[in-house]
Amino acid sequence: MSFECHEPSSVTDAVALGARFGEEGRFLAGGTDLIIQMRRGKVGPRHVMSLHRVSGLDRIEADGAVRLGALVTHRTIERCPAFQGPLQALVESAAVVGGHQIRNVATVGGNIVNASPAADVVPVLLALDATVTCLGPDGERTLTLDGFLTGPGQTARRPGELLTSVRFDQLPPGSATAFVKAGRRKAMEISVVCVAVRLTLDAAHARCQEARIALGAVAPTTLRARAAERALEGQPLTDEVLRRAGRLAAGECGPIDDVRASARYRRLLVETLVPRALRRSLERIGRAA
Amino acid sequence: MSTGPRVVGQRLPRLDAPGKVTGTAVYAADFALPGMLHGKVLRSREAHARLLGVDAARARTLPGVRAVITAADVPDVRYGGALKDETVFARDKVRYVGQPVAAVAATTREAAEAALAAIDVAYEPLPAVFDVEAALAPGAPLIHEAWPTYTAIPILHREGNVCNRARIVAGDVERGFVEADRVFEHRFRTGMVHQGYTEPRAAVAVWDTSGQVTVWSNTQLPFEIQNTLAEILALPPSKIRVIVPGIGGGFGGKLRVGVEHFAALLARRAGRPVKIVTTCEEELTAAYPRQSTRVELKTGVTRDGRITAKAGRIWFDTGAFAGSGPGVASVATLVLAGPYRIPNLLIEGYAVYTNKTNCGSFRAPSGPQANFAVESQMDMIADALGLDPLDFRLKNIVREGDEGPTGQVLTAVGLEECLRRAAAAIGWADRRPTADRGKGLACGWWTTTGGSSGVYVKLNPDGTVALNTGAAEIGTAALTGAAQVLAEDLGVDLADISVVSADTFATPFDFGAQGSRTAFAVGNACRAAAADLRRQLCALAAAQWGVAAETLTVRDKHVVGDGKRIALVELARLSQASGGGLIAHGTFIAPPTAYDAKRVEAHVYPAFHSPSFHAHAVDLSVDRETGEVTLHRYVVAQDVGFAMNPTYIEGQIEGGVAQGLGQALSEEIVYEGGRVLNPNLTDYKMPTTLDLPRVESILVEHPSPVGPYGAKGVGEPPNIEPPAAVANAVAAAVGVRVTTLPITAEKVALALSGEATP
Repeated sequence: MSFECHEPSSVTDAVALGARFGEEGRFLAGGTDLIIQMRRGKVGPRHVMSLHRVSGLDRIEADGAVRLGALVTHRTIERCPAFQGPLQALVESAAVVGGHQIRNVATVGGNIVNASPAADVVPVLLALDATVTCLGPDGERTLTLDGFLTGPGQTARRPGELLTSVRFDQLPPGSATAFVKAGRRKAMEISVVCVAVRLTLDAAHARCQEARIALGAVAPTTLRARAAERALEGQPLTDEVLRRAGRLAAGECGPIDDVRASARYRRLLVETLVPRALRRSLERIGRAA
Repeated sequence: MSTGPRVVGQRLPRLDAPGKVTGTAVYAADFALPGMLHGKVLRSREAHARLLGVDAARARTLPGVRAVITAADVPDVRYGGALKDETVFARDKVRYVGQPVAAVAATTREAAEAALAAIDVAYEPLPAVFDVEAALAPGAPLIHEAWPTYTAIPILHREGNVCNRARIVAGDVERGFVEADRVFEHRFRTGMVHQGYTEPRAAVAVWDTSGQVTVWSNTQLPFEIQNTLAEILALPPSKIRVIVPGIGGGFGGKLRVGVEHFAALLARRAGRPVKIVTTCEEELTAAYPRQSTRVELKTGVTRDGRITAKAGRIWFDTGAFAGSGPGVASVATLVLAGPYRIPNLLIEGYAVYTNKTNCGSFRAPSGPQANFAVESQMDMIADALGLDPLDFRLKNIVREGDEGPTGQVLTAVGLEECLRRAAAAIGWADRRPTADRGKGLACGWWTTTGGSSGVYVKLNPDGTVALNTGAAEIGTAALTGAAQVLAEDLGVDLADISVVSADTFATPFDFGAQGSRTAFAVGNACRAAAADLRRQLCALAAAQWGVAAETLTVRDKHVVGDGKRIALVELARLSQASGGGLIAHGTFIAPPTAYDAKRVEAHVYPAFHSPSFHAHAVDLSVDRETGEVTLHRYVVAQDVGFAMNPTYIEGQIEGGVAQGLGQALSEEIVYEGGRVLNPNLTDYKMPTTLDLPRVESILVEHPSPVGPYGAKGVGEPPNIEPPAAVANAVAAAVGVRVTTLPITAEKVALALSGEATP
């Protein structure tokens, strides 16, 4: 393994380097995925462009819409006071990524660009209808996160383009989020299945106004369970309705058998964890009300 | 010593603690020499293939490469333990993915890796077998076609892919089944698991001009490595010095030659020191993990719960070489019989070759696998008969003076006390306290491995004492325990003892850090050496005073008697002025344990020496929907004979339980088509602190008549019962009986959903 290391000191310089090296370059943020992939020989970039000298990408702005710089770490998300309320799923998902040392350096931008279907924070962002902003030689563009993730390890990012931020709107009143995860152990674990949900109830808290369900590790990308969402919207959220959403979500995901779990266990988990996450969201809305 | 022990039995801090907690202790992986090269091993990519050619010409020309060796460059020697079936590099064919094919030494690790990539190996794939069933099927491909020609200890029973079948026959098992009211038959399976030591296997080798090689390695058995290297290098053992700087955990995985031979061969070729440290991937694909097993048990029981007969078979997937397999298959028969009075037995243990990595010894080899089957079945039978599992065990356990399965007479049997105290501590009376919560029990027995130990004990000029032992401190604090014995018997403090260990040139022979024997055997050798040194001290003082030595004793750092006292420091000075100082030699070999030789066949380990007895109890909950198990409490009651240092025994119990719970719930090396699917610590799931409950230790003391102060071996047993205890608790909690290890959430959930048989 041999490569040239670059340390651009601004977003402009980083993007210029990205444009210069194209497919032969990789941006390095926390490195918790990239370095492992390089060590295992899965990727072999000729140029590694470390972003650690680039300032301004490690901030969370939460006045109005929420904007997370690409270099915001999982630890920062975990401790962000703005995420202790309805956005709590962000904390729940960030807090179960790896161990403390990993979370201290692993970034949200890296988690998105790595495009692992088992990423933990990504389903929460998907449930928040997040968009991502990329900066490249042709300027800036903003895409929906859903459209950005195209396959395992694959995104719509163009060669040399730098993902600079992820953005989503604050939730309306009567909303909550929840994240639940299943794995073989209680920490340091890659999800066998993870589920993120967002619920917004109507003013009377009688019916579901809007629902988002995102599933991890059960398809080539993090996946919205749209049929399950539709089955909730406009409905009073009885336990039977929630369980039906779980069955629909299990039906619309496409898990595989691998060393971590079988496809049928993953479906069973989706069927179980979707209503569990929805129930948790409902409780949170109830508590907040 | 009339006032009772002052040092032994006390919770004193271990002697190696300061270095280990401050990070200054030197482990083998830390060890470095000037001019040292880095070695790497090229490993087979095929599970079973004819080796058509290994072309290393290009690798030899690469920058930084100083040595490349293949089978053509090393002596054509077959080595091994009970069965010599292994070669340094694959010769005629490769037998597993990961088998060494060549090795290189270069100025950097990167250059060595580049050289590996430049070696061309031509394979012609052969039909392979990946499990015991396939290996035993009629017409199965032979892993070792030439097996009849291999050198082996004569008692082994071998045939084709079976490299040993050990057997215990007692009474008349068929008659026993006739006498039974009910006969139960069950099958079990267990997965392959790695010891999970923190430090990978490491070795540094250097040759001197006299043709002597020195190897620093983290082996548990320096003297065995000395002999193995002598075989491999075709040299007398006197030309081979093995030193253990420190071991970052071993658990049986560092008993056999790991990378020492590659380091020595490369260093000889390069004329420079060579260091090799294995990678995590090598550890999980080409080390000496615990064998996966298949078990069948048939047990006959009377209506009132008395066991009349047991027929059991256990098959070990030993991988491509025998390794520890023939011995492990033997030990397994004693575990499979269990700590129960069973008049009629037919127990067989098979070690079977397959095209997988060579399995080895892992803390209580065969213990967890066989105990999982035995103790799961005890609960299944109790449930079927409507008996309480504790009562059913108490009806059948061995007690003082009973015979073991091979006829050994059992003494110091603390099993009933262990069972009753573990059950009481876990709150057995309330076995299913709430929905989906349950408690499980399992008990067992284990050996204190024999083998001899020697120590030298030297009086230092300041009146303190140097303990020189061939045993390595594997991390258990066993040598602190031995030093406590020595300090006790010499009337000095533990802090007065310094330890020099594990150097095949400088220290006396020791059978090694294995089989829960170190504190036991080295401790006894220390007792003998202390007696010798006391005699010498008294003789020296007696000569000074002109009195009979028999009237003097050693006490509180002095020789006293005849109304006088003289400090050890003064005697040290006198001895150095007159007689070259004082050195005592102490040795120990455990007395043989008598057994009935007619009951065993092809058996490498027919009796358990100074057996220990233990019971574990766990309280857990199961998430009915996800199958996830949450452990609340874990209790171990272990008969340790005598607790030399309760603090470190508790440490052994806590660590052994943690390791056992990993095997119970999450760990497994998963093979598919001869390849390991999870050769990394991302997907090989060792438990974290959040997965583990608080472990409560109850130390039961039924003294061994031959242990130092009555001690029995303690290191391995805590690893044995966790899988069975967990399986029994899961069954108590949600009524699902998982008969395969690990008991993953997936197995539990699918069983609960009615989708699968676990």
